Amino acid sequence: MAKSVALIFVFSLACLYAQNASTATPRTPDGKPDFSGVYEWPKASSGERCRCSATVFDRNLMSPLKPGGEPFLEKPNGDPRHDEPRNFCMPAGFPSGMLSANAVQFVQNKNYLVIVHEFQRMTRVIPLDGRPHRKGLEPMYYGDPVGHWEGDTLVIETTNFKRWGLDDYYYTDKNQYRMHSDALKVTEHISWKNPKAVAYRMTIDDPKTFTAPWSEDFTMAAKPEWDSTGLYEYVCEENNRCPGGKCPAP
Amino acid sequence: MKLRSFVLWLAFASLSALPLLAHHSFSAEYDDSKPVKVTGVVTKVEWQNPHIWFYVDSKDEAGKVTHWAFSGGAPGQLMRRGIYKEVIQPGMTVVVDGFRAKDGSNNANGAKVTFPDGRQVFTASAEDRIPEGKK
Repeated sequence: MAKSVALIFVFSLACLYAQNASTATPRTPDGKPDFSGVYEWPKASSGERCRCSATVFDRNLMSPLKPGGEPFLEKPNGDPRHDEPRNFCMPAGFPSGMLSANAVQFVQNKNYLVIVHEFQRMTRVIPLDGRPHRKGLEPMYYGDPVGHWEGDTLVIETTNFKRWGLDDYYYTDKNQYRMHSDALKVTEHISWKNPKAVAYRMTIDDPKTFTAPWSEDFTMAAKPEWDSTGLYEYVCEENNRCPGGKCPAP
Repeated sequence: MKLRSFVLWLAFASLSALPLLAHHSFSAEYDDSKPVKVTGVVTKVEWQNPHIWFYVDSKDEAGKVTHWAFSGGAPGQLMRRGIYKEVIQPGMTVVVDGFRAKDGSNNANGAKVTFPDGRQVFTASAEDRIPEGKK
C-alpha cells in the first residue's frame, strides 16, 4: 500500500513538472521573459473594426477630445499626398504601422529588443539598458523608444513624434484620418499571456488632442510556424504603379 | 485534376477568406460605380510589392486587342499562406471582375478571377469592393 501511494505521489509530481515546463514563461539567460519569435500583428478581442485588414483603435476607449484637439479628425483636401501619403510609399509610422496586418518579429537580448514589422519593414531598436531618451532629435515617424522591466512585463515608452496618422481608420471613413499630434507619447506593456500569445497594451497619451491618456489591450498570437520562412521583403517603391491614383497605361 | 493543380487552386481560392492589406485606399484609386468584366489571356504577372499586378489581353469579336492591368494583394502575405506566383501564370485564360481606375485607364482592381473550369477566386484586398456584393 505504502509503495503504491509513493508511486502515485511521484507520478503526480512528474505530471505537475511536465505541465509547468510546457507553460513556463520562456526566459533569456539573465532571467527576463524572452519574447523572441514571430507573431501575428496585434489584434483586439473586441471593438472597432476597420474597413481594411489592419487593427484600428476603438473610438469608445478613447478619452474625449480636448478643446483644440479637433485636428485629430483630419479631413481630406483633395491632394493625395495629404489625404493618404502612404500612397506614395511614405511610412505608416508608429503606432499605425504596428497594427498593419503583417507578421512581426521580436529579437531580444539583454540590452535591446528589436521589433521588425513586415509592413514597410518597420524596424524599432529599443534599448533596455536604462538609458534615457535621446535629446535634440527632430520629430520622427516612429519616435524614440526606451524600455524597462516591471516584473515580467516589458514597458516601452516612445516619444518625439511628428504629427502623423494614428491608425488606418481612414479606410473606414475618409473624413476621419485620425492624426496624433507631435506631443504623443505611446507606452507599450508586453507580457506573456499564455504559451501561445503575448498580451500587448498600448497607452496613448496625447495631451494636445485628448483630455487624458487612454489604453487598449491587444493580443499577439505567437507563430513559431512562420519562423522558418521569416519575414518577407517589403519594398513599397518596387512597383508602386499608381501613386496618388495615377496609373500608367497597361 | 492533378494534385499540383488542385493544391494551387486551393491556395488561390483561400484568398477569398483572407484579409489582405492594401497600403493604399481603394476609394482613392478605383471607382466602385465602374465595374468591369474582362475575358482574356494573362500576358504578364508582376509578383512585386506593394501589390501584385497581372496583365490581361482581351480580344473583341472584330479581333481588336485591349490591354488591361489588374492589381491584387501583397506578395509576402500571399506567400506566407503558401500562395506563390505559379498560381497565376502567363497564358492562362481568365475572366476578371473588378473596378476600373478612377483615371479612366484600363487599370483596375482585380477583385474576382474565374478560370475556364469554373473556379472562382478573389484577389481583392480586404477593404476593396467586390462585384455583385460578394466577398
